[in-house]
Amino acid sequence: MTLSHCITLSLILCAIGVYGILTRRNLIGILLSVEVILNGANINFAAFAHFKATDPTAGAIFPIFVMAVSACEMAVALAIIISMYRRKKRLDVSRLEELNG
Amino acid sequence: MTLLLPDLLLLLLAALILAFDLYKGEEASSSNVTFHICWIGLMTIFFVLLGLPYDEQALYLGGYQVTGISLLFKQIFVLSAFLTVLLSKPYFTPGGNYRGILQYRSEFLFIILLCTFGMFTVVSAVDLLTLFIGMELATIPLYILSGYQKEDRLSVEASTKYIIMGSLSTGLLLFGYSFLYGCAGSLTFEAIAAACTANPDEPLLKLGVLFVLASIGFKLTLFPFHMWAPDVYDGAPSPVTAFISVSSKAVAIAFLLILVYGPLAAMHSYLQPILLVLAAATMTVGNLGALKQQRLRRFMAYSSIAQAGYIIMAMAGNAEAAYSSIIFYLFVYAAANYAIFFILSIIGRNGEENLSGLRGMGKKNPVLAAVLMLTLFSLAGIPPLAGFMGKFLLFAAAAQEGYYAMVVFAALNSTISLYYYLLLMKEAYITQPKSSKKPLRLDSIQKTSLAFLTFAMVFAGILPVFSSNILAVVQ
Repeated sequence: MTLSHCITLSLILCAIGVYGILTRRNLIGILLSVEVILNGANINFAAFAHFKATDPTAGAIFPIFVMAVSACEMAVALAIIISMYRRKKRLDVSRLEELNG
Repeated sequence: MTLLLPDLLLLLLAALILAFDLYKGEEASSSNVTFHICWIGLMTIFFVLLGLPYDEQALYLGGYQVTGISLLFKQIFVLSAFLTVLLSKPYFTPGGNYRGILQYRSEFLFIILLCTFGMFTVVSAVDLLTLFIGMELATIPLYILSGYQKEDRLSVEASTKYIIMGSLSTGLLLFGYSFLYGCAGSLTFEAIAAACTANPDEPLLKLGVLFVLASIGFKLTLFPFHMWAPDVYDGAPSPVTAFISVSSKAVAIAFLLILVYGPLAAMHSYLQPILLVLAAATMTVGNLGALKQQRLRRFMAYSSIAQAGYIIMAMAGNAEAAYSSIIFYLFVYAAANYAIFFILSIIGRNGEENLSGLRGMGKKNPVLAAVLMLTLFSLAGIPPLAGFMGKFLLFAAAAQEGYYAMVVFAALNSTISLYYYLLLMKEAYITQPKSSKKPLRLDSIQKTSLAFLTFAMVFAGILPVFSSNILAVVQ
């Protein structure tokens, strides 16, 4: 396994995530796609730290911070989605239609 | 430690408000105590900021830097938080707004303060990790705030849209950071700047920069990524909309300035055409979008998209011109935007914030209508108001580098914007209301704030003291 393998993997994960955000109709599915993108970036950091970096500790620590921050973000996102479910009774993005123009 | 005083005071204030709320419980959310603590505290922090030495700089704990420029940005953030706190007052009192009362006031203030602290962190960062944490601390609270009216379908929908777009942009930002890290081998700005100077044509570097630009495009509402802005601005409660349109935009601009003139300075000639194309597209889309809006908050969203375009244009200039003109313009933009949102909160007391809500204002509330006129003229950039001075400096920054065609294009765009700002004036002065209306009611906080903002807009344009002070700090 080389650096280019890892970068290819992370870019594929990024593409899968963006595709998921664009095509998924369910809000939970969209959140999962976001997580896929974030983890793709984490793989990138770990790979650069392992193969290339002059300061490998920084790259190894960064993903841990990313995980903590994305946990906060997901907590907020789930709270928002629950309150949306209470208002609209569906988790479908096609229900997000009242604001437009 | 004196340079760190505003940051520490801000954290202390936030802790104080949360502690007070936990201690008093139900009582605190109905009383005005936390509100008074908050605005007095923010005012104190602002005066502390004014008193600090702007020619010194210091590095704390190896990762938190305070410079004159970061202190200027902190002034903007504190001022914006202060005005948001004042603006939010009627929304927490029964009958203050037609959409219903907001609850949990102390938490609201606490979230605003923490968000402001995140912005402080962004302008103090010297490595990508601090920058990332600061940016997230400045963004995640905004998702909560935009859904603050839990019972309102529009507010919830706005926050759902915002958090989906926001997390996508975070993901792209992280990809950008990882490529910058891979290229430089370290997270510090120094290492990235060294890698950038050594080899500005490295494809990894360019890939990273494009990811970062795309991500910050979301937060700054640049052209292909601006779609969320009108929906979020429309659905969120008004004080939050004002806060998003000023503070969140200011922090995104600060972030871009720090990167473009800091670690990526060696790539500036590569970035210039990208920034100019983004600027041209953004101002056109913003101005054309605003033409057909009926709802005032959507209108303000498109107007602020266009303003972001003008600001980005100045980043084609050299560091000194870009920093001084953009910081000055942010002050001017903040004053004008908050004035509009104070007027919106007055209209929104009894009815929808539509264009028709402005009707009859010229007869019934002549002073308020005059303030609205001054504000719109300042946003459009009519001399001798502050908006003209601000736009002039932005255009001059781009013109110094010889981008005359771009400046002419921006001036034409500015003319389009004058048209739709005048549409608002027409509604306020000429169109007759269908039924006779009572004059709008202003409370003392709204009167004082509007007077202060109008004063700022008129005098920042006439007296060059303010802009030359900023230029002196930047140099």
